Amino acid sequence: MKSTTTMNGGWIARLQDEIAQAWTVAVKDVKVYYLTPPMIMFGLVLPFFLFFSFSVKREIGVEVGMARLLALTTFFTASSAGPVIIPLERRMGTYDRLLAAPMSLLTLLLGKTLVGAFFATAVSMVPLGVGVLVLGVTVANVAMLLIGLVLASLAFAAFGLIFASIPTHSVGSIMMPSTLVRWPLMFISGIFVPLEEMAPWARALAHLSPLTYVQDLMNHAVLGAGALNPWLDLALLPLLLVIFLMPAAWLHHRSRVLGY
Amino acid sequence: MNNTIEVENLTKYYGDLLAVDHISFEVRQGEVFGFLGPNGAGKTTTQRMLTTLLEPTAGRIVIQGHDLAHDAYPVKRRMGLVPEESNVYTELTAWGNLMFTARLYRVPRQQREQRARELLETFGLWEKRDVKVEDFSKGMRRRLSIAMAIIHKPALLFLDEPTPGLDAQSARAIRDLIRQMQAEGTTIFLTTHQIEEASLLCDRVAIINHGQIAAIDTPEQLKRASERVQSVEVALAPSGTAPGEALAALPGVTTQVKMGDKWRLYTDDPSALLPQVIDYARSEELRVISLSTLGPSLEDVFLEITGQQVGTVRHEAQANDQRGKRGGRR
Ligand SMILES: Nc1ncnc2c1ncn2[C@@H]1O[C@H](COP(=O)(O)OP(=O)(O)OP(=O)(O)O)[C@@H](O)[C@H]1O
Ligand SMILES: [Mg+2]
Repeated sequence: MKSTTTMNGGWIARLQDEIAQAWTVAVKDVKVYYLTPPMIMFGLVLPFFLFFSFSVKREIGVEVGMARLLALTTFFTASSAGPVIIPLERRMGTYDRLLAAPMSLLTLLLGKTLVGAFFATAVSMVPLGVGVLVLGVTVANVAMLLIGLVLASLAFAAFGLIFASIPTHSVGSIMMPSTLVRWPLMFISGIFVPLEEMAPWARALAHLSPLTYVQDLMNHAVLGAGALNPWLDLALLPLLLVIFLMPAAWLHHRSRVLGY
Repeated sequence: MNNTIEVENLTKYYGDLLAVDHISFEVRQGEVFGFLGPNGAGKTTTQRMLTTLLEPTAGRIVIQGHDLAHDAYPVKRRMGLVPEESNVYTELTAWGNLMFTARLYRVPRQQREQRARELLETFGLWEKRDVKVEDFSKGMRRRLSIAMAIIHKPALLFLDEPTPGLDAQSARAIRDLIRQMQAEGTTIFLTTHQIEEASLLCDRVAIINHGQIAAIDTPEQLKRASERVQSVEVALAPSGTAPGEALAALPGVTTQVKMGDKWRLYTDDPSALLPQVIDYARSEELRVISLSTLGPSLEDVFLEITGQQVGTVRHEAQANDQRGKRGGRR
């Protein structure tokens, strides 16, 4: 017999509990990890480094630059949170607290997704602030920009959790494989070469990278024009969140066989 | 049903390494159940399986009537866990750590603040409540991790070696707490490698070694067995003429084992044996290089209880030192 109703008042109460627990995990992680060196390194410095390495030589307008940097920060910052935080917690043994707590694994992963999304949204406020306040960029569609940033951050945070399932106590052992996947996804996307200027085969390839849609969405939001349908971009993001969470949940469950 | 934990054929392989080997036991409602064994016996592995942190390779765990493999949620709500290493958030304060755990276990707001205060006061940490845990000593972290484990008033508490490395006063405080929680009805699963501690606290003790349970017994039985395996260790010079038989013939010696240049003489009364060894050396004109009495080693108690020959422990095991010191870990 499944005892869904034996606790404090059935599945609605349980659902409330799980949401509160995911939130508790997220808030704690924000408090604990926002200033840890790997988080600053992989979450804050890396996207800016990539931007300036690959964009500075080309002549681009500040609007294009800002849209690009927003896509990069959501992608790299959000997907770094899980791979940084989870091994650190495993090493301290605090991850066991979360695994032993009365909540589902999905709730735990949802909490971790929220943390990544929070960091990524916070970091993207830097290019946004500088762009709008200092460089005088005008944003074509503010609502689309903000909703897009949040949804993209959530999806990419869940993406990072797939790598965080690697059973290890060291951040480095996760950054290696995650870089091997994330950098190619960055290069095949339309982030440095606009989709319109790509050869047909390259354009087909670009559609395989989730970053392509976020870049396009940011172009729509900031510049007011993009290569794809902005509604398609927007609709795809929640779908990606679910698509990334599923293998993440399965892999995290599996690594528990090893006791991680 | 008054078994809180029922374990059947529980087994864990780490790759090819068999860490826990088809063990079965029950823990009764309200008892302090000791899980006693030397380093590497499989204690932590077992506790991690009982607390859902590690998936068993085979076997069944039923806690409070719920099969852990399918229905862990209600168990997790009522379970508290103190792991081997104090796992506290060093970046948070003591108060922050407790609040986080209480929220995770959905302790209502008023209760959690009151309870956190009580616990901090009990553990002598109230003055330090706003200090980040990174500045805490090992003992303070230990106490905090225990407070975190019981903030939701668990009906079942797991403790993995709670006292090693603590000063006598802290260790006593923790033992008092265990007794008090038992008096309040909590069932306690206590992992330890100290015979002393097990006999002080436990209603029943399981002895585990090399992943197998040798016996489940009362502390009195355990004490009796451990008294039988005390020993005197002596090195004599010149050691040319093997004095083994002569030493074994001394009154009170049950077994004698050669360990390098030393002889270990098992006896249930070391203080009576000491002068005899000295007399023997004097009469044979041998020099006593070293002479010491040893308390019971867990490995020997284990062999005694399982009816095996005491002293048949491999010499490497001696080098590892089973007598209460902790080896380096990981
Ligand atoms: N994660 C792991 N991977 C591989 N082997 C492991 C792992 N954890 C433990 N072991 C091995 O399993 C065996 C049992 O280990 P366990 O930690 O359960 O012992 P223990 O009784 O808790 O010892 P101690 O008193 O040192 O804490 C040991 O041989 C150990 O080396
Ligand atoms: Mg252990």
